[in-house]
Amino acid sequence: MSAHTTSMRDALYEAPGPRTRRLTAILTIVSLVLVCIGLALVVRQFYVTGQLDAKYWAFFAQWSTWAYLLEGFLGTLVVAVTAAGISLVLGVVLMLGRTSPIMPISVVSRVIIDFFRGVPSLLLIYFFFLGLPTIGLYLPPFWMITIPVSLAASGVLAEVFRAGVNAVPKGQTEAALSIGLTPGKTMFKIVLPQALRIVIPSLISQLVVVVKDTTVAYVVSYPDLMQNGRVLITTHDSVVSVYLVTAIIYILVNFAINQLSIAMARRSGNPIISRTTENPT
Amino acid sequence: MSTQTPVIELRHVDKHYGDLHVLRDINLSVHKGEVLVLIGPSGSGKSTLCRTINRLETIDSGEILIEGEPLPQEGKALAQMRAEIGMVFQSFNLFAHKTILQNVTLGPIEVLGMSKAEAEARAMELLRRVGVDAQAAKVPAQLSGGQQQRVAIARSLAMQPKAMLFDEPTSALDPEMINEVLEVMVELAREGMTMVVVTHEMNFARRVSNRVVFMADGQIVEEGTPTEFFDHPKTARAKDFLDSIRGH
Ligand SMILES: Nc1ncnc2c1ncn2[C@@H]1O[C@H](COP(=O)(O)OP(=O)(O)OP(=O)(O)O)[C@@H](O)[C@H]1O
Ligand SMILES: [Mg+2]
Repeated sequence: MSAHTTSMRDALYEAPGPRTRRLTAILTIVSLVLVCIGLALVVRQFYVTGQLDAKYWAFFAQWSTWAYLLEGFLGTLVVAVTAAGISLVLGVVLMLGRTSPIMPISVVSRVIIDFFRGVPSLLLIYFFFLGLPTIGLYLPPFWMITIPVSLAASGVLAEVFRAGVNAVPKGQTEAALSIGLTPGKTMFKIVLPQALRIVIPSLISQLVVVVKDTTVAYVVSYPDLMQNGRVLITTHDSVVSVYLVTAIIYILVNFAINQLSIAMARRSGNPIISRTTENPT
Repeated sequence: MSTQTPVIELRHVDKHYGDLHVLRDINLSVHKGEVLVLIGPSGSGKSTLCRTINRLETIDSGEILIEGEPLPQEGKALAQMRAEIGMVFQSFNLFAHKTILQNVTLGPIEVLGMSKAEAEARAMELLRRVGVDAQAAKVPAQLSGGQQQRVAIARSLAMQPKAMLFDEPTSALDPEMINEVLEVMVELAREGMTMVVVTHEMNFARRVSNRVVFMADGQIVEEGTPTEFFDHPKTARAKDFLDSIRGH
């Protein structure tokens, strides 16, 4: 991670001089002190209001609490992975439709993309949860959360993919066509693979959004991490401790996704990135 | 020679970009084994002409025939025809996400339906011919411009084309790399490849071309053998142009 951030910094700022270095050091110390004071105040407030009392934390010593959270965590994972898979495929399909030379297809795709991008995912979930049953369609809770989250993400992903496809130099397409590849094969063998590498960072941020979107699963009573956390809150009458632990788990998951993305970008993105950084041999 | 069907023939080809008339009534035939050099000032339409031949650019009117057959307009037939005409670009355009070897085997495997083993064996042979076989496992970004362009030539050759189009193949190269690419092209010409080459390399034109075609403002203004054209240009425009590229 550090290698990436440094290179980014190098690209954005010039190397610091002695005065800048001194200023940076002072600001670093000041901000660290401020952060510590802030944390101390939070802990103090917790203590004063009794949130640190053993009764709010004792049940975390029981295996059953963690088993229940783990169950919720797995629920979240299954929804997130399924939704990510569906939205990746649907995103590509919508992007292909959007860039199709056939007008009606392009227009329809565009409307669908803009709709899913524009509508809040919670509203989509309510539609599947409350709207569909009114016309006699009952989906299992799993799909009531997974489908709307997928649809919302696929609209965004379609645009992400389109940006990626546009960023692939035109010469790549021309070279592919000139050796006799059909336009379809040119897209799937030459353009899309390169576009994917270009958009990996945006793809990952979108994956994080998917994970966060799954948190509204409680609306449809699907047992995800959030829903199980809420059950724990009711059972043990302890809001702060449970939400704190749940939040930390979400942060860890998204941190893991980020690390994964950096590792992936390193591995697959290298040949393309190295064009500017490596000297020809 | 003229009794044979030309490999490439353009009849009364016209093309516009909006108001700009880029190709004006172009008539041109290229026969088997012929090396034709296209020359002319910037913006005269050389690239456009070259690109219409494998339909990377469409034309407004006229006809383009490949071995007497009209150029297909779309679909499998068009892809098939493009496979039979190699194209080498100024900016190489090697597939950035594939290795050198994969760049050369992709067409034979995907288009000609060749087995991977056979395609690789033939690709290595071609890479050896152009002198970059040692780089087969690298990706394009790790090669010099001259090496990349030689791989691009090998990639085209792997399709066993009937003719090859070169659009300023050496003008993006550092001077010391120009010759290694020109040598490969000279070799190809000697072996009898039918070639259309947009270039300002006069030595190359004199050494291997049969005919030089001079374009200006979308028209063919003059054509002749390299000696005729370079030593005794007939039109004032050609004279001016030659003076300008010779730095007079
Ligand atoms: N896609 C396009 N849209 C509009 N105009 C174009 C397009 N491509 C080329 N042109 C214009 O058409 C004219 C001919 O371009 P072309 O690239 O064929 O010239 P050229 O002879 O190859 O020039 P150069 O030596 O600079 O490569 C130029 O005026 C150019 O600006
Ligand atoms: Mg040009």
